[in-house]
Amino acid sequence: MLFLHFKIYFPDDLAPPRSPLLSPIVPYDVYIPNSSNPETMFNSQLEEVTETSGNFSSVDLSFLPDELTQENKEQTVIRSKHETEENCKTKSWQSRLPLPSQQDVDLALNSSGGSNSHSHLHPGDADSAQPSPEKPHSLPLASITPMTPVTPVSGCSGIVPQLQNIVSTVNLACKLDLKKIALHAKNAEYNPKRFAAVIMRIREPRTTALIFSSGKMVCTGARSEEQSRLAARKYARVVQKLGFPARFLDFKIQNMVGSCDVRFPIRLEGLVLSHQQFSSYEPELFPGLIYRMVKPRIVLLIFVSGKVVLTGAKERSEIYEAFENIYPILKGFKKT
Amino acid sequence: MPGGGRCPDCGSTELVEDSHYSQNQLVCSDCGCVVTEGVLTTTFTDEGNLREVTYSRSTGENEQVSRSQQRGLCRVRDLCRVLQLPPTFEDTAVAYYQQAYQHSGIRAARLQKKEVLVGCCVLITCRQRNWPLTMGTICTLLYADLDVFSGTYLQMVKLLGLDVPSLCLVDLVKTYCSSFKLFEASPSVPAKYVEDKEKMLSRTLQLVELADETWLVTGRHPLPVITAATFLAWQSLRPSDRLTCSLARFCKLASVDLPYPASSRLQELLAVLLRLAEQLAWLQVLKLDKRSVVAHVGDLLQHRHMLVRKAFRDGTAEPDALDAREKELQGPGQGQGWGKEDRGNGSVDLSAGKRPASPTLLLPPCMLKPPKRICPTPPVCTVTGDENISDSEIEQYLRSPQEIRDFQRAQAARQAATSVPNPP
Repeated sequence: MLFLHFKIYFPDDLAPPRSPLLSPIVPYDVYIPNSSNPETMFNSQLEEVTETSGNFSSVDLSFLPDELTQENKEQTVIRSKHETEENCKTKSWQSRLPLPSQQDVDLALNSSGGSNSHSHLHPGDADSAQPSPEKPHSLPLASITPMTPVTPVSGCSGIVPQLQNIVSTVNLACKLDLKKIALHAKNAEYNPKRFAAVIMRIREPRTTALIFSSGKMVCTGARSEEQSRLAARKYARVVQKLGFPARFLDFKIQNMVGSCDVRFPIRLEGLVLSHQQFSSYEPELFPGLIYRMVKPRIVLLIFVSGKVVLTGAKERSEIYEAFENIYPILKGFKKT
Repeated sequence: MPGGGRCPDCGSTELVEDSHYSQNQLVCSDCGCVVTEGVLTTTFTDEGNLREVTYSRSTGENEQVSRSQQRGLCRVRDLCRVLQLPPTFEDTAVAYYQQAYQHSGIRAARLQKKEVLVGCCVLITCRQRNWPLTMGTICTLLYADLDVFSGTYLQMVKLLGLDVPSLCLVDLVKTYCSSFKLFEASPSVPAKYVEDKEKMLSRTLQLVELADETWLVTGRHPLPVITAATFLAWQSLRPSDRLTCSLARFCKLASVDLPYPASSRLQELLAVLLRLAEQLAWLQVLKLDKRSVVAHVGDLLQHRHMLVRKAFRDGTAEPDALDAREKELQGPGQGQGWGKEDRGNGSVDLSAGKRPASPTLLLPPCMLKPPKRICPTPPVCTVTGDENISDSEIEQYLRSPQEIRDFQRAQAARQAATSVPNPP
């Protein structure tokens, strides 16, 4: 009973932000939720959900505008990609929304910081949402499907882009002695003549970090947002153990890269002709077509074999949305 | 002094031009105050006050054409002349260069980039007028790296918001083929290798068209395909004498550079022709291979449209009645555009040679090859990002004090070794 978890997600002390414009660009009625897929639950009007089927008839979507303005889009972006809990250490990026004090809770489900995340989840009626919290759920986290944002697993294409790389930054908020770090840590390399940062690697999650003397750190190589956060925390912990007063401020996902395969060849010459203003196809330089989508602002690399690489996203949903936008266009070029 | 200048000290208008140590000075004749030194004033207000302004803050930068820009414009014109472009191209290219130069990022760029920018402007002009100029040619002329060129080119297209059409393949074939020195006998080109230009051109065009249709051109550099097509066309016009000549030797004869991918394009083109040959009744019996098919290229090209339709099918096409039987043999999974391996490449020939081979899927070569490694489905990840991090896990990454001492000793030893490279 997965939507039980959704109910838990609404803390009672929280009024969701007033913005009704929390949906992705494509209106909800486009998605035909697959009731057997738990992730599509998020699309439904959660405060009214009493059954798993995607029953939208009772939902009034008329308030949804045709287009999101940039300001409102920013507010949707703020919602958590970390489907689980909010750490109070990451308060700073949440501060954009009017939130009450963070409660540092272990279990994701009770998190009050989840407001900006689940404010997305009940897009139907942000103004009149009646958060009705249940008692704290005691299910272990492992049994809960990680919540992915709105886009259902198979919108109209049946293909879900896989995330390949996440780049994130965090501020450790203390000056670091890179020489000392390179000396005391086995997994660090430091070559000041080549690059002014320590390159550190950990095995689990398999990631690489660039640690600068100012205390700023870049973490790359993770395959999901949570992994990136966990990895960044591990690096911070290593730095802490080396004797520096490292903190964990302003963790932010800077870039997400995803890839998928549409499984049919694509006539790139035709695509560049019909979508000139977005596409750049120079076979003399690069075998793929570079498609710069405006909404969401994602760059797609489209290859003749049907493989698509999506990059430039700050949110997982942007990748899914971009793919759902490009799929019908690519299908138009399916026939030779 | 006429011009409305006033002395800032006493307000007198009696300003006299005076030369002091060969530097022009404007001096107030009443109080002797030196109003200006030097004459390089260019802003309007400052000129009113007769005050000197540094060049970077003056309007001269916008009004005048800087020396570097002048040089660049000159290079643009020179490049157009070297390439023997029509005169209108020159003006357009110059205009693009000026337009680009207005952007601060270009103005402050290194000279190397400005050099390459010259080529970019010419290339964009040619592309927009369908003049077939490849980036390789421009890079050779400018002695530039293709990487630098590509970066500058893409930046320029984005900055100026230009719409640059793709390279026109037909025109490129015509100019490229004409550059092959095979149309007249010479000491290096024996008579049997000489070919008529028109025949070769038309056949090459047909082969390139066939390559385009069968996914050999999309995503690839256009030139090697044309080289392969030219070679094949030349060989097929007199196969008996020319089959012995290899692609490399052919390019050397014609004094044209052999691009590296051309040989693999040639193989792909021959494979396509072989598949077409399987559809022609009188060629099926011959059991052609990659060498013998060359002799029949003329026939195949003559009927190429019909043959391509018969020999290949894309995944969504309905197989016709003739192939209905073979369809049930292939089982599920077809009709999806999937092409892992060739199907029906003579293998479903029920009555040997009597029926044409069943159509294979028309796919780019990269989709026909088996995948190098199976992409593992990523395991379902249940990381929350906030798990506890055990101390032992972190400690595995830290060096023990002994290790630190060893490491420091090793570092010192290495330093000592490198600082004394040639011990006596």
